[in-house]
Amino acid sequence: MSEITSWISPPTRTELIENLVSGVDRYNPSNVGILEDYLYHQIRSQEYDCLANLAILKLYQFNPDLYNPDVVINILIKSLAASPFPDFHLCISLLDERPVNANADEPDPLPSLLPVLTGLHTLLQECKFPSFWSTYRSSELETLRDNYTVECVGFEDSIRDVAVRAVQATFTRIGSERLASYLDLKGDALEAYVKKLGWTSDSAGVITVPANADNTIESVVVQESIQLPQLSKVIAHAVHTA
Amino acid sequence: MSEQDQQQRMRQQWAADEIDDELHHVDIQIPVQQYDSRYDDPAQTPIDEATLAAAQQHMALAQVPDVVKRFIVHFHQAVLDNNLPEITAAYESGWTRLTEKFYAKTEWPEAEVIAPLVADDQIFLILYRELYYRHVYSRLQPNIDDRFHSYENSCELFNYLLNSDGPVALDLPEQWLWDIIDEFIYQFQSFCVWRAKLANRADAEERALLADADAGQVWSAYSVLNVLYSLIQKSKINSYLVATREGKTAEEVAEIVGEYGTRPVYRMLGYFSLIGLLRVHVLLGDFTLALKVIEHVELSQHQRVTACHVATYYYVGFCYIMLRRYPDAIRSFVTILNFILRMRQYHTRSYQYDQISKTADRMYALFALCTALSPSSTATATRLDDNIAATVRERFADQLPLLAAHDPAAVTELFLHSCPKFICATPPSPNEEGGGDPARRHLGAVLTDLEVRRSGGGGGEGRLRGFLKMYAKVDARRLAGLLDVDKGAEGGDGGEEETVQALMAMKMAGRRVSRVGGEKGFLEGSVVGTSELSFTINENMVHIAESTVGRRYAGWFIRNTEHAQRVYDGLRAAPLPAAPNASTTGFNAAGGKKDAQGQVGGAKTGGAKTVAWGAATQVKVAA
Repeated sequence: MSEITSWISPPTRTELIENLVSGVDRYNPSNVGILEDYLYHQIRSQEYDCLANLAILKLYQFNPDLYNPDVVINILIKSLAASPFPDFHLCISLLDERPVNANADEPDPLPSLLPVLTGLHTLLQECKFPSFWSTYRSSELETLRDNYTVECVGFEDSIRDVAVRAVQATFTRIGSERLASYLDLKGDALEAYVKKLGWTSDSAGVITVPANADNTIESVVVQESIQLPQLSKVIAHAVHTA
Repeated sequence: MSEQDQQQRMRQQWAADEIDDELHHVDIQIPVQQYDSRYDDPAQTPIDEATLAAAQQHMALAQVPDVVKRFIVHFHQAVLDNNLPEITAAYESGWTRLTEKFYAKTEWPEAEVIAPLVADDQIFLILYRELYYRHVYSRLQPNIDDRFHSYENSCELFNYLLNSDGPVALDLPEQWLWDIIDEFIYQFQSFCVWRAKLANRADAEERALLADADAGQVWSAYSVLNVLYSLIQKSKINSYLVATREGKTAEEVAEIVGEYGTRPVYRMLGYFSLIGLLRVHVLLGDFTLALKVIEHVELSQHQRVTACHVATYYYVGFCYIMLRRYPDAIRSFVTILNFILRMRQYHTRSYQYDQISKTADRMYALFALCTALSPSSTATATRLDDNIAATVRERFADQLPLLAAHDPAAVTELFLHSCPKFICATPPSPNEEGGGDPARRHLGAVLTDLEVRRSGGGGGEGRLRGFLKMYAKVDARRLAGLLDVDKGAEGGDGGEEETVQALMAMKMAGRRVSRVGGEKGFLEGSVVGTSELSFTINENMVHIAESTVGRRYAGWFIRNTEHAQRVYDGLRAAPLPAAPNASTTGFNAAGGKKDAQGQVGGAKTGGAKTVAWGAATQVKVAA
């Protein structure tokens, strides 16, 4: 199954959710609880289902009274790890402007966290992984870490996957120091991580990335190949007029 | 009387230019028994037995020009008879011509006024109001009542279609059915924009009306979706599309789609509702759902209603931009823009042509936009089809250098010019300052992607690419020096790390999801490399290889061969020149295929082609 197919319909999606995502029941406000539960299930089980999460945001868009900022923030956090795919912005596109809730007891955390999350997302898009980690670990982002990402099982590893995808597409060999800064791992932890990936490191600490379609270069000259169906009209006409 | 004669007569009748003088000489067989002669002279109307309101309506009716009355009576008869050619002629030429002549700046007569002409036929009056309001929206300024009443009328029409006992026996031209759905969504979008503007300055009365509207779900997103989904389900259009794709026989298809889906009116409304949903979801910013709802549609099919065909490609292409699937977006635009170029010579129906060429303009702009967001995708597209790219170069000569430098201002301008008219799903609260413009929010997503292209390696991706092309092998630090990112770089590594990260970002941007062929839905695809420049990094050494794509000739030769065949066929089918005027006819034939075909069409089929391509030109040919 290709990575796109499993993005459209993750193998972990249940039939109940599939019916909600693909049917008209997705517009029924009373189903929002089911989808929200599914989001928290994704958070606990390191699963990800973008289309189901967009269905939640769709319900919020049509029914502003359902709006739950914690759910929105969790959806955005999950979508960070999909970089470089545009999931984060697909979610943002569904967040209509809403009046700031004047209720002082429970201020809406989204307006203050949205710029933070957008900043983190941009760093990932730009492959500035060391900056991502230093920003993420900074004291300004304590709220985000303590209230949200700590609950999201495997969040840091999912970001490491983003870095790994970029590295294996670009490098044939990479210095372990550089890789360490991308993955925010040191010493034994890094070694274990590299081993898990199936990459090998030599005595000088340089790690070899196995060859794949993206990190292999070749100059090719692509020549046009004409398929028979392209010529069907021309040939058919020749037969007619012969 | 033969059908051709009838059509010929009708055409003369609706050709308003000729109507005035000849009005009394033309023998028009319309069912005048439905038309009470006393309306002609209000002075003789027996007022004692009529209410004042009725009298006013009679007066109003008396004001309606005779030619318009005749038109309405005839139009009504055509609808009663389900006579598609006559309905089409009335809808496409009669209405337009009379509008130009009498109602260019005012409303058509209200439905209540003309009701006596059509024996109070409620169904016809609903259809009439559909045209009435569409005219108000396109030519005049709809007021608050118009907006509410046009919604009510649409609901009545859809209720009649969906909730009668069984499928209704109405038959309407495909173009009209498309216009009904298209207009319904346009009025929804127009209402949302108007309402967002009004929220802050409504007076008490308007506020009360708006509150009523909200309570009654007038023009709410839910009610609009409800109509579209109901039409889709009633017509079983998705089952129809799947069954025909699987090559089922006509009987099997009929079995599957049931009593509604076998009727053209329902099938076409179902299909157009799918495209309508695509549009509504785009307007609401849901680009994945937009593509998901049309997963069974085959883009290359259904070209008969050109406006629908063009709109489909525009919205699909736009979704792909927002999904950052630039190769797919560009392919959509190139395909349909070529289609429009080929169709252009046939389009004489001006009201549609205007719309189509406006959409085409937006797609040229979006194509130009893609050069800033994904230079390598557009470069590939240009090699595959230089036709469209050449037009873009010509039209956006000023902007292209800015776009190549990933200039945010240039991108902003093009985006706001060519994006759909986005709407908010729910009305802003009255106290809020204007509410955010949704177009700006979607623009933000595009600008973020642009920023990644722009910031990479000091001078943007284009510059980085330019340096890479000069080497087969270059040290990252040396590259950093060329890019001027070495000075003041963090960590004292001479900008090496920054350059490496820019290279990674460029690498990731060069991998895009794209439909490579054979996928089922519009969301499906595979990751493909869009860049002709491939590189890899070994520690700090960048190795570069450039691929070249040979120029493609086949498409050009095939298109032109087919074109030559059509010209040849046209000439062969043309009648031999008449002997006495051999010199002039010979000149005409040499004048081009268009002339030759026109004559053939005129001779063989009389007015039959008129219905397809509009009356104006054909009348001339006949004359």
